[in-house]
Amino acid sequence: MLTVKDLRVSFGAAEAVRGIDFTVVEGEILALVGESGSGKSVTARALLGLLPPTATVGGSATLGDRELIGADEESLLEVRGSQIAMVFQEPATALNPVHTVGWQIAAVLRAHRSLSRTQARQEAVRLLDLVGIPDPGTRVRHYPHQLSGGQKQRVVIALALANNPRLIIADEPTTALDVTVQAEILSLLRDLRDRLGTAILLITHNMGVVADLADRVAVMHQGILVEQAPVEDLFARPTRAYTQALLAAVPRLGHRTPSSPVSAVDALRLDQVVVRYKDFVALDGVDLRIAQGEVVGLVGESGSGKSTLGKVAAGLLHPASGTVSLLGGDPSASRDRLGFIFQDPAGSLNPRMSISDCVGEPLRIHRTLRGRPYHNRVAELLDAVQLPRGYARRRPRELSGGQRQRVGIARALALNPGLLIADEPTSALDVSVQAAVLELLTSLQRTLGFACLFISHDLAVVDSLAHRVTVLHRGQVVEEGPHHEVLRTPTADYTRRLVAAVPIPDPVEQRRRTREVAPVT
Amino acid sequence: MTRYVLRRAPSALVVLWLSSVLIFLVLRAIPGDAATAMAGPDATPETIAAIRHDLGLDLPVVTQYLHWLGGLFTGDLGRSYLIGGDIADLVGTGLGNTVVLTATALLIAVLIALGLGPLWAATRNRWVDRVLTAFHTAAVALPTFVTGVVLIIVFGVFFRVLPTGGIPPKGMVDRLDITAQYLVLPAVCLALPVAGVLTGFLAETLRGELRQDYVTTVLAAGVRRRAVVYRHALRGALPVAITTLGLQTGALLGGAVLVESIFSWPGLGLLVEQGITRRDYPLVQVLLMLSVTVFVLVQLLTDVIHAALDPRIRLGAQS
Repeated sequence: MLTVKDLRVSFGAAEAVRGIDFTVVEGEILALVGESGSGKSVTARALLGLLPPTATVGGSATLGDRELIGADEESLLEVRGSQIAMVFQEPATALNPVHTVGWQIAAVLRAHRSLSRTQARQEAVRLLDLVGIPDPGTRVRHYPHQLSGGQKQRVVIALALANNPRLIIADEPTTALDVTVQAEILSLLRDLRDRLGTAILLITHNMGVVADLADRVAVMHQGILVEQAPVEDLFARPTRAYTQALLAAVPRLGHRTPSSPVSAVDALRLDQVVVRYKDFVALDGVDLRIAQGEVVGLVGESGSGKSTLGKVAAGLLHPASGTVSLLGGDPSASRDRLGFIFQDPAGSLNPRMSISDCVGEPLRIHRTLRGRPYHNRVAELLDAVQLPRGYARRRPRELSGGQRQRVGIARALALNPGLLIADEPTSALDVSVQAAVLELLTSLQRTLGFACLFISHDLAVVDSLAHRVTVLHRGQVVEEGPHHEVLRTPTADYTRRLVAAVPIPDPVEQRRRTREVAPVT
Repeated sequence: MTRYVLRRAPSALVVLWLSSVLIFLVLRAIPGDAATAMAGPDATPETIAAIRHDLGLDLPVVTQYLHWLGGLFTGDLGRSYLIGGDIADLVGTGLGNTVVLTATALLIAVLIALGLGPLWAATRNRWVDRVLTAFHTAAVALPTFVTGVVLIIVFGVFFRVLPTGGIPPKGMVDRLDITAQYLVLPAVCLALPVAGVLTGFLAETLRGELRQDYVTTVLAAGVRRRAVVYRHALRGALPVAITTLGLQTGALLGGAVLVESIFSWPGLGLLVEQGITRRDYPLVQVLLMLSVTVFVLVQLLTDVIHAALDPRIRLGAQS
């Protein structure tokens, strides 16, 4: 149906896509897998002529007998939406905030078909029903901000389905969603393919999602397709070194042996902590203790209170009731014994400061060191996170995402912290980079012996380095215990659902699980 | 919506009250009071005292303030010292003329901005972009007294197609075509700076909207670029443009003083100019209070429109 031959895209001198060939046949799900900058999203946009005018596109892409590359705007308008439609990563921004979802679906319907307002409205209700939105007759009048993240993504899918396209390009359709919501959206996409026969070009970096949904996989690296194979073959017998490395870097649940108990002295202790934002109870009587030298993984979905708990532990937020003790004292008094790693390495480093200034900032604030010992310490920290000392004078923007997060770690370690709080430290990173950063963090923890509160939504990441795991749901601890017990044999109902929702990066196993669990549409 | 307005109303009232105190005090802080100015340079202290008593200026300041505040509510604004006549009548006549002028200017500015803003934001033609950039810079940078004089020279003196000043002799509604002839030059002159600022803000906000993900969503669904700009993105850009417009009414009120002088348009602006040069404090006081009230009301209206346009404000951010 779709045949891509020698597709090339460049922005000035930079080549984003360097001659790729692939085909998508009717009703098939082809996954285009790669890390950031591999050219997968650029490929998708090139097919629909949605690249900025600065891009040069060459090669060929034919849909049936229609050439897409270099086609004029009029014929592309006929293709967009009615032949090929797109689903995007971030449902929160993919919908217009100032129009109702019904208005938006109707606008897209009327771009291709001559429908009256009433007909378009009826059709919008039917589409919302098709993608599993409850009470579509009411929801059609709602604005995006009145819907949940998963519902918004369903609306985006309804927009894509509006004009019965033969192919849907789904660009990271579940990356911005919680795992349980991700599982629902994946099952919806699979269901739509089965019912409507729509082919899907799935663009993703998540191997679990690939294993769950794809029929065939094309692996992309630096603008080139390195390997194409049916999904079972690719996971069982990857032939190229890059694919092998990519698969090896994917964190998996249950691959680490249980770890031994640690010190009996508390680094952090929370007793019956309650935090309220106006009427909303963010933390509802939370107990948590982290022993010295222990890594506790805190998992939960968005809105569960994870980050709030991190702020309470750091003394940035005072609980309405309950007690917090950090290294045996008040958290605000022990700031110089605390390190914090943030999610977004780009946003948490001051772009106007040099790398050495960023790393040394805690030392300057607490006036611990000055002069030569200060510079020695900064150099030592850069060594510890395996960054060349020559980087000291660079600015954050000159570093890659992974390197910037190493700077973040070096800064967090500057004061020799007794407790390190890491809030989603690897969620903004590619899997291979994530693997390296996690490995670094684990080895630093072993050698330096700091306690760590590791906050993450990714269960496999937590499983790879935590001693104990605490599961947070709607501000309450629903389960707590050694990592291998909580994540492999969960007792709480919510934890069980959470663990079941994580797609396993193994197509055979994942499909067996999907058949067992009833579809959640 | 009513609740939203009620929530904003108290702060507007406080602003109005504080302004009334400020205006009253500032005019009394100017050296040389009104009685001295009225009596002329050769007057004896007795004459000045008599005038002062006549005007109530010998009463305690608080009493004077309360009298004035009471007058504002009852419409008894007192008499103008020097121009003569009842202040309420003077202001009433001027107000009508000024409203006609500023409303026309506002309409012209909005039409220009709505026409050129989206064009400027969406164009990929380098020449269109250059011409609009030049228009924007000129409209924002040229002061009213320059454009006003240029307009008069070109259309009133050189081509002799339009009157150079004054208002239609038989009133605004008698012959609308004649009214339009008198109105066009001062209104355009007053509108240009506002149109420039508004076009710039609208284009810039719209460019931001066009970079949003939802624009890619509808483009990928096959909606035409033109429809995306006008139907999808413009609505999101309007709240900022309306806020700018609200703030620009200040510029419009200030601009009216100059434009009315240049074109001899007998409105409030001309009255303010005369009142200040002749130290007619009771008149100036009322005119200032009126401008502040108009400005506060416009801000309130801006917020209401803002809320009406953005469902996230109107409906609250609950999910």
